[in-house]
Amino acid sequence: MTAIRFGLRLGRWGPLGFSFLTFASSLIQAVGFYQIAGHTAASRAAFAQSMSQLAAQLTFILPPPAGLSTVGGYVEWRAFGGLAILFGVWALVSGSGATRGDEERGLVEAVLASGVTRSRWLASRVIGYAAMALIAALAGGLGLVAGVAVGGESINLGPVVEICVALAALGLSCYSLTVLIAQVVGARVATAAAGVVLLALFLVNRLSQTFTWLAAWRWISPFHYYELNQPLAPGGAFDARATLTMLGIATVGAAVAAVAFEWRDLGAPLVRWPSRRSPAGYEASRSPLWRIPVVRGLYERRAGLATWAVALAALAVLFVYLTKTVLQPLLSIPTLSQFFGAHAGGQLFTTFLGYIWLTFAQLLFAAFAITQVARWSAEDSDGRLEVILSTPRSRASVVVERAVALTLGALLVATASGLAVGLAAHNQAVDINRERLAEGTLLLVPFALVFAAAGAVLAAWNPRAAVGLLGGLAFASYLLDELGPLFKWPTWVQDLSAFKLFGTPLSSGVDRGGLAIMIVIILVGFGASILLMERRDVGA
Amino acid sequence: MKFEVAQLHGAYMLREMAVSAIRTSKLSKDYGAGRGLFDLDLDVIPQEVFGYLGPNGAGKTTTIRLLMGMIKPSAGGAYVFGLDCNRDYVEVKRRVGYLPGDMPQFGSLRGKEVVAYLGGMRGGVDPKSVHGIAERFDLDLNRRFREYSSGNKRKLGILLAFMHKPDLLILDEPTNGLDPLNQQEFYELLREARDGGASVFLSSHVLSEVEHVCDTVGILRDGKLVRVARLDDLRAAGETSLEEIFLSYYSDTDREQKALPE
Repeated sequence: MTAIRFGLRLGRWGPLGFSFLTFASSLIQAVGFYQIAGHTAASRAAFAQSMSQLAAQLTFILPPPAGLSTVGGYVEWRAFGGLAILFGVWALVSGSGATRGDEERGLVEAVLASGVTRSRWLASRVIGYAAMALIAALAGGLGLVAGVAVGGESINLGPVVEICVALAALGLSCYSLTVLIAQVVGARVATAAAGVVLLALFLVNRLSQTFTWLAAWRWISPFHYYELNQPLAPGGAFDARATLTMLGIATVGAAVAAVAFEWRDLGAPLVRWPSRRSPAGYEASRSPLWRIPVVRGLYERRAGLATWAVALAALAVLFVYLTKTVLQPLLSIPTLSQFFGAHAGGQLFTTFLGYIWLTFAQLLFAAFAITQVARWSAEDSDGRLEVILSTPRSRASVVVERAVALTLGALLVATASGLAVGLAAHNQAVDINRERLAEGTLLLVPFALVFAAAGAVLAAWNPRAAVGLLGGLAFASYLLDELGPLFKWPTWVQDLSAFKLFGTPLSSGVDRGGLAIMIVIILVGFGASILLMERRDVGA
Repeated sequence: MKFEVAQLHGAYMLREMAVSAIRTSKLSKDYGAGRGLFDLDLDVIPQEVFGYLGPNGAGKTTTIRLLMGMIKPSAGGAYVFGLDCNRDYVEVKRRVGYLPGDMPQFGSLRGKEVVAYLGGMRGGVDPKSVHGIAERFDLDLNRRFREYSSGNKRKLGILLAFMHKPDLLILDEPTNGLDPLNQQEFYELLREARDGGASVFLSSHVLSEVEHVCDTVGILRDGKLVRVARLDDLRAAGETSLEEIFLSYYSDTDREQKALPE
């Protein structure tokens, strides 16, 4: 019990943050439903019709909807469908942190030295996460109940609790799988390896809607079992067997992880490749790259940048294929073909790709910026910044070098994804506006820099809280872009969202005004970061 | 003409000799609740090895961070070779080699990459100097930082502090984690640096170490400097050991409280 309490204490900010996110997400979607769909059967039917068209475009990310004319069906699709991804990411970060992150920090060694067995420690972390995931999921249910109350209606609590239990079970299964993978591979690659596996499991399930040959593999994905639960939609039900399967995955994953943990050396992976023994060396690296400002920063994180570039290029190719696959059946319907032709002005594929790919790419570039800010915060808290500042460098030069390195890193990743889109489109013999593709791809760089500039301010002000606050800011920015047009908020309010400033460069070209605002935010953000850095204590 | 140049050089040298390696004037950093550093007046002359003593939380690391310009003073000033540590911190660091109390995490970077990375930022690092220090401490720079033991991490820190042959070394508990053989190697390196013209400011808990390598000691208690003395003067005056002097600044109650388990 003490170990569980300790585990909960270590991860106390996770459930608080995610409870807020789940509550806000379901509350906003429920309130939004009443605002947009209204209260008459006819208006709700029209709303369901328009939403089902949107759902067809979002099959790569959200499950197929059911009962969109009801608040339960809509929130189940829009909020709880998206929360599945959020819980997967949370489980990944929390699982790899609890396993290898705490080991790197020496925490696990200290705990084991106190007499706690390895299996008991691991079990306590899994049970602790299960409790946290359930709390956060129930907060989502509470948000739905509150939203329905705001709409002047009521909802049966049973199905609400059921979807929350299913969501927590999904998070727990992802957590156990992460913990298991983290036992097998090295600490350096634990998060990346588990991330690749969870992303693959997510995509196998989601893409099986589009690529039928993948349907035979759906059973391996916990996301599939989560989607079998539709208790909120009319006619849907809680699938106890699917939920038990998710809990089974979690139990088996944790049990195998415990066995692996017992087998391996602390600090080492279960599977170790024999390393080549090299003779001792007393020379500094002779690579000239370490001496060139900015280049040394990029060179240091070359593996991470290469991973980002390759992953985004691969996803970009996938989205090109996906867009074509989604678009072709729609175009075979004459009325839809005429409708799309009228709205897309002859650039049908470009417009669709812009919507599907660039929307997703924006989220990834926001995540890219957040990971770089996390690195700045880590440099501060682990003492690396102190050592860097013990060399004859001004604090301003550190901020500027970080900003330029991030710009070039983002440019590299954006270029890789843009080239991948262009080549895949050419390979698929589909017409695409290359000029707009180049502009839209390059616009991802200032977009990432907007978040980086905000992160630079936060990291200079309070490095420990920077990542959490920036994540919250990114989420708020995304919600603002989603909800602003629905609630008809003033333009200046909507312009506060970086997603809104990005605009729709593939379909309507680069929004010069939005770009100018982004540049101002970047300059002001990094300028403020320099001022804050000059004034603050480092390493205190 | 040559005479004029020699005169100018001589005047410069004299001025350099006159300027303290470290000087602080009423230097304070107040963290509240009586914690921090208060009214520190310190003078470290060139080519001196100054030992800075005090129990945990006395303010040793705070002093060092103020000298390095990492934290801002609440009052007073600190100067290194006449340069303001707060205003001219870039120039100060050109002349300083710094070893922090805790080595930062460089993760999967190899030792040689860490040296190249920080050496590249500093500039002007002699590869022979790097090789010499790494070899005498038998520090394998081909290994990854995460594979280093705590002693090897400390050796890397020493290498980073000494590699550019600085005029002043600021070292926070430099022998923490070093085995006795490497401690002796470090003392030798310190003597060589001093003989080469460098000044040294080192904090330590190890009284025998301070007695062994330092010319002057300063004793800090609750953020205040309570004694500065040259070790030669203490010996000449026939004063008791440094340990006795150090402990005399702590009341019996203090010592009893420290000795008793919580």
